[in-house]
Amino acid sequence: MDLDANRNLIATALGRIPSGDRAALQTVYRLTSAKLFGVCLRILGERGEAEDVLQEVYVTVWRKAADFNASRASPMTWLISIARNRSIDRLRASRQSRNMDPIETATDVADSTAGADAAIETVEVQTRLHRCLGGLASHERAALRGAFFDGNTYEDLAVRMKVPLGTMKSWIRRALIKLKVCLEQ
Amino acid sequence: MTDTLDHSALPEDDILAAEYALGVLAGGDRVAVEQRAARDRGFARLVSDWEERLAPWGAEISDVAPPPQVWERIAAVLPAQVHGGGLWQNLNFWRGLSFAAGALAAACLAALIYLGTLARQPLIATIEGDGHRHFIATIDASRGTVAVVPATFSPDATRVPELWLIPPDGKPRPVGLLRGDQTVILSLPTDLAVLAKKDAVLAVSLEPPGGSTTGLPTGPVIASGKLTSL
Repeated sequence: MDLDANRNLIATALGRIPSGDRAALQTVYRLTSAKLFGVCLRILGERGEAEDVLQEVYVTVWRKAADFNASRASPMTWLISIARNRSIDRLRASRQSRNMDPIETATDVADSTAGADAAIETVEVQTRLHRCLGGLASHERAALRGAFFDGNTYEDLAVRMKVPLGTMKSWIRRALIKLKVCLEQ
Repeated sequence: MTDTLDHSALPEDDILAAEYALGVLAGGDRVAVEQRAARDRGFARLVSDWEERLAPWGAEISDVAPPPQVWERIAAVLPAQVHGGGLWQNLNFWRGLSFAAGALAAACLAALIYLGTLARQPLIATIEGDGHRHFIATIDASRGTVAVVPATFSPDATRVPELWLIPPDGKPRPVGLLRGDQTVILSLPTDLAVLAKKDAVLAVSLEPPGGSTTGLPTGPVIASGKLTSL
């Protein structure tokens, strides 16, 4: 789906929150809560915890809306980052990641390009990320995905992929460098 | 381990920002990065740049509708949205006034109180249904707000009152949720404010907690009233 379909509506509503406008927060909630709940649920794996964190996320949005800069950032990216970070905080506070299944890189699926209905600009950005991820080794790609989608730490990923911690760190750092170089081309 | 990583390719700060945005840090490392981002604008920008780079992955995560009680819990911890103080916030004052002198008098007074702060003339509507005056709404076009004072509205245990603006085209536009126990000030975005003219109608429907999710009233419309200038 197109993450930025309601970009202007969401950005405008975010802009009204710092003046204490509850209806604006409710507008943001209506337009984005299903995506953000999906994000919390994906990382936390349990509905009750995901609901608690979703509440924290919107209270954070209420307090921090003034930090959102519509000229620099996409509102959905900003909101999803808050949802991921609050979910990861909850995960770290509890124990280890929910998803600790071994990752077999041999069966690692290539990144699929999502959403034919997405806006042109979004498709381009998505295509570029997927192309650059495609240029990584499959174990690097699998490690990055485990971190992004399952909230795994370096330690978690080392366990899941059965490699020493130092190896995992260098895989990920190398992958991040390659990714940035590719995205900037 | 053979580490051929070329650290000069990316400054250490950029790596740290990437690790945080990706989510691989734990414990003290994660806390330290968060604290740094809070006080160092340049570093915070590195983090948000990485969030933007990874953002397309977010589109892969499926939407899941949260249960309605999540919004109720959020709304319950937000500070109440009320103007000024004193009588304006005092429900008993409004109740007493509306019972003693009739809701219309309250509406006039509400509008008069408002006039003191207004550049333009406000519009008011007495929102009635079933022989009762449920709410009195005052629209302040210059500030883009609508203030809604509950008069005789009794809350429903399972549903919440939602305010709709219905311009002459007959299509209801959602304005926001009301409360039976206190004045609510809702903002009117510019696209709604231009429709809030004399003879447009304000209506209240009963909706599931969190409000209608369809953009149109889903529950019974219990009261309505025309906007008039004072």
